[in-house]
Parts: sequence; structure tokens; C-alpha cells
Amino acid sequence: MKKTISLSIIFSFIALLLVLQLLPREAIAATDPKQRIFDYANLLTVEEKDNLEIVANQYSAESETDIVILTTNDTQGKDIIPYMQDFYDEQGLGYDKKHGNTAILTLDMKNREVYLAGFYLAEEYLSDGRLDQIRNKITPDLSAANYYDAFTTFIETSSKYMRISPWINPELFIFKLWFQILAPIAIAAIIVGTMAFHSSGRVTVNDRTYLNTAQVMNRKDRYIRTTVTKQRKPSDNNKGGGGGFGGGGTSGGGHSHSGSRGSF
Amino acid sequence: MVIHYKCPNCGGEMLFESNTGLLTCQSCGRTDNIEGFSDDYVTKTFSEEEAKEYQCENCGAVIITDADTTATACSFCGAAVVLGDRLSGILAPAKVLPFTISKEEAKAAFQKWCKNGRLTPKGFMEANRIKGITGIYVPFWLYDLDSDAKVDAVGTKVRTYTSGDYIYTETKYYDIYRDIDLNFQKVPVDASEKLNDKLMDKLEPFEFKNLKDFKTPYLAGYIAEKYNYDDNELFPRVELKIDKYIDSYIRSTISGYQSVNYHNKRINTRNKNSYYVLLPVWMFYYDYNKSEHVFAMNGQTGKVVGKPPLSFGKIATWFTSIAGGGFIALKLISWLFLGGLI
Repeated sequence: MKKTISLSIIFSFIALLLVLQLLPREAIAATDPKQRIFDYANLLTVEEKDNLEIVANQYSAESETDIVILTTNDTQGKDIIPYMQDFYDEQGLGYDKKHGNTAILTLDMKNREVYLAGFYLAEEYLSDGRLDQIRNKITPDLSAANYYDAFTTFIETSSKYMRISPWINPELFIFKLWFQILAPIAIAAIIVGTMAFHSSGRVTVNDRTYLNTAQVMNRKDRYIRTTVTKQRKPSDNNKGGGGGFGGGGTSGGGHSHSGSRGSF
Repeated sequence: MVIHYKCPNCGGEMLFESNTGLLTCQSCGRTDNIEGFSDDYVTKTFSEEEAKEYQCENCGAVIITDADTTATACSFCGAAVVLGDRLSGILAPAKVLPFTISKEEAKAAFQKWCKNGRLTPKGFMEANRIKGITGIYVPFWLYDLDSDAKVDAVGTKVRTYTSGDYIYTETKYYDIYRDIDLNFQKVPVDASEKLNDKLMDKLEPFEFKNLKDFKTPYLAGYIAEKYNYDDNELFPRVELKIDKYIDSYIRSTISGYQSVNYHNKRINTRNKNSYYVLLPVWMFYYDYNKSEHVFAMNGQTGKVVGKPPLSFGKIATWFTSIAGGGFIALKLISWLFLGGLI
């Protein structure tokens, strides 16, 4: 009886949490004519593009940051970063103002490179590290040419990260479902196991119960020899993984941004 | 030789009372100090040499005992009898630790202990099914030991530092030697064949400063056993028992090293003194689910040991509550952090 009550309390609590998590999603879906998908490389169908505009519009409003997709076959001889910076300066992207909060995914189809960047609020919330995490998430889809899926993931994940305090690592293991399920089970098993083990009575004598006197008659701690081994310091080059390198920068217009770069 | 204690006042039966530590008459309430009890009122009958039968001093019936019993109750009249010849010569205990917990206190404490078991089935706690409570003086050997431990080991101290492009690991090796004299006092080892050694080990510690010189009246009203193994036969067990204490002392004298590798450990233990003592234990026989469970209680401190049955339902409840609670707590944490509330 007691058991069923406690179980039903647990389940209703979980249900409540799930509902609470879903609630804010349903807010604001007002249409605004702003363009956020610039598919110059024609990777998307018209329908996909329209859908992404709606998704981008909704998530941009939630995170108060414009989430922009930029694809190109021709960077006009520029590197991917200056190309993106110039695009930002020219277009005056930004949710709150011209040249404002923006998260932007740039895809250079010619050199098969991807660059993620965050301006202003997004520079703080989408740090280089977080952008690396997002890029690692979408790279498999990009390599498999599932551009629509990759862009959707980018929009959703960026928006989610924008609402998480910058000092928290959103991919930390304690936020993972497998950990949230396995860790309490392991702890419960250990606790109940010790309870069962101790149910037959514990040993309550210790090392000193019967020891009357103890004396060290003779001791020696003689130094013999020294060995030294050396190892090359791990270099910082392979940080970021997957061929990614470089962080943020500042655009020609003087707008500083975070960044994560890689190939796919 | 059968010993029976008669009241100098009324001729009634006298038993050892754990609360007062005195011999007490069951009919008139007279109490007598054990040290000063006159031999005139102790009835002793020596059995003829050949006869292995004992006769009750009270009713004359034949006392039925097994070969190890030294104190018991007559199965016909219930009179407490002590079998003196099984407690003399090399079988004479040097000391006895009298019961300080009476039968009623033991019963109440045991019931309380049963109720506290967090995994014990409900029916087990509620049903009053104590089938029998027996106060037993269990034979133990107490050893005073001198140990000499000589240890050779190699210890390392590790330091890492960086210089230029390299990380250096510097390991210094030390030759360690310790010669330690240890003295242990009154290490108990259970000398009865019948009782489970593990159960008896868990009953410790006993407070040995209350040991009394052995007098047979302490046994009046209890069951007592004689030892099955002598001090030489049990010496390996006591060595094994102090072995881990010696190891932990050795480790406490070697400090400041990252790793210690023992090469040679010679422990030499000498039996300085060993004495035969009787220690007080309450035994409980408890019926549950058609099987008998045996529990033992330290007759001096009241500590209870023994394996109670485990309730599957209670284990499941504890398990799901802890696991479910942990899951909710983690979900709540991630909801607070990832939901942007913090």
C-alpha cells in the first residue's frame, strides 16, 4: 500500500516536470518577415527553406538572438571567417538592433568548411567551447548531406544553450538521461546492500581494542636511488577535434564574436 | 560431582541474580555474597568413578546432559545444577564475566532490536515468537601476546615538474625497515565447538575489567559449556585474528611515501599468558516462516548479532525510493540549470 503511494507520487512528479519543461515552447509564434536563412548554395528545397524560416523565427524570439544560416559555393576569394564577418557587417544582422545578438552558421561548400559564430549576447552564451559542442553534434549530418537536419539541430541547440547560464557546461554528464537513471540505481544498490550486510550485526572491535603497547624498536628509511622519466608536453593543436581550430575574432565593422571552425 | 545451592534460611533454591551480582533465594528472597557463601550450604555429591550419570540433588532424578555441559537445569524439577567435576582440574575456568543483563532485559532489548531492523519483514517483528531464551556461559580463551614484527619494504616518493617542452617524473626509492614490538592483552577466542565463530566474533567487545575469579555459584541458573579446544589448539586462530591489527600498526609507522612495496614480513608471536574464561551470552531461538533463526546477545553490553530474515518488499521499497528520489533530484537539478532558472 505504502509502496504504491510512493510510486504514484514519483510518477506524478515526473509527469509534472515534463509538462513544465514543455510549457514555454508553445509561446510566441508571431510571423515576422525577417530573413534568416541565406541558402546561396541551394542546399535546401523551397519547402525546407520555408520551414526553417518558421523554426528560426520561433527559436530566435525565445532566445532573443537571431539564429542565421548562411551557405555559399563562392566565398569571393575570402577565408570563411572574413566572409561571414563581412556578411554580418553588410546585412546588419541582430535580433535586438542592427548589428546585435546573432548566432550564425556558415557553410562553405567549396572548401567543405563549417564555421559557427556568436555575436554580443550570443558571444557570451555561445562561447567557443559551446560552439565546438554544437559543431560536433551537427558535423555527422553535414558530412552525410542531411543539411536540413543539421540546420534544425543548430537552431534548436543554440537556442537551448542561449537560455543556460554561461558557466554551466550543457553537455555535462549529470544532465544526461543515462546518468540520471543509472547513478541513482547504483547508489540505491550500494545503500540497500550495506543495509542488508549490516543487518546481521557489525564488527565493533578495531585495531586498537586489544593492543596494549606497541613500540618501534628499530627503524630505517634509507634513500637508495632516483629515476627520472620525461614525457613531451601534450600540444594544444588537437584541441577541438575533427580538424577544428581557431576561435572567434572581430569583424571589419568592429563587432567581436566567438567561433568554432571545422571541416565536414 | 553435582553442586546445588540451598538457602541457609529456608532451604529453597538459590540462583545467581545478574542485577545485584548476588546469590538470591527464589522462595524467601535472601541474598548472599558469592565470595562469602558458606560451604555448609553447598550440597555436593560425588558420582562414583565409573558412573557417567549425574543425579539431581533436589529431586533425585537422573540429569540428562550432553558431554560438554557444565551447568544446566534438572529436566524434571527445574533445579539449577552445576556439574563440578567438569569444572575442575584442567577444566577449571580462571575467570568468569558475570551476566549484567537479566532475562527480562534481554528479551525486551531483543524485541526492540527486531523492530529496528530496516529490512526485517513486518511479521517477523510483530509476531512474538521467541521460542527460547537461554543464558549461556560460553568458554573462551583469552590470550596475552607478545609479537615481534620485522618488515622490509621499498617506498617511493614521486615528484613531477615541467621544464621546457617536457614533463619530468622523478621517483626516489627508499629502503624501509621496521622492527616493532607489540603487546596484546586479553584477545578472546571462542573455544566451543557448537557456537558459530563468526557470530561470537561479532559479539565483541567484552569489558574485561569486570572479570571475576571463577566461583561455581555464578553459573547457578544458567547453562554453561566446557571448552572443546585448548589454548594450544586455538593459537593459530588468535594469530590470524591479531594479524590484521599488526599489519595496520605497521602501516601507521610508514608514512610520507606514495607507494610502499612489502618484500619481507616476519611476525613472531609468543603466547605470554592464556586463560580459560566463561563469557555471558544470551541465545535466542526464534521461529519464523517455519525455520528457526538463532541470535546471540552479549550478556554484558546487550549487543545483538545474528542474521534476521530479509523482506523482499522492504528491500524493493527502499531501493525504489532511493533510486526514484535520486532520479527526481537529478531531473530537478538539470531542469533548474538547463531551464535557465539559475
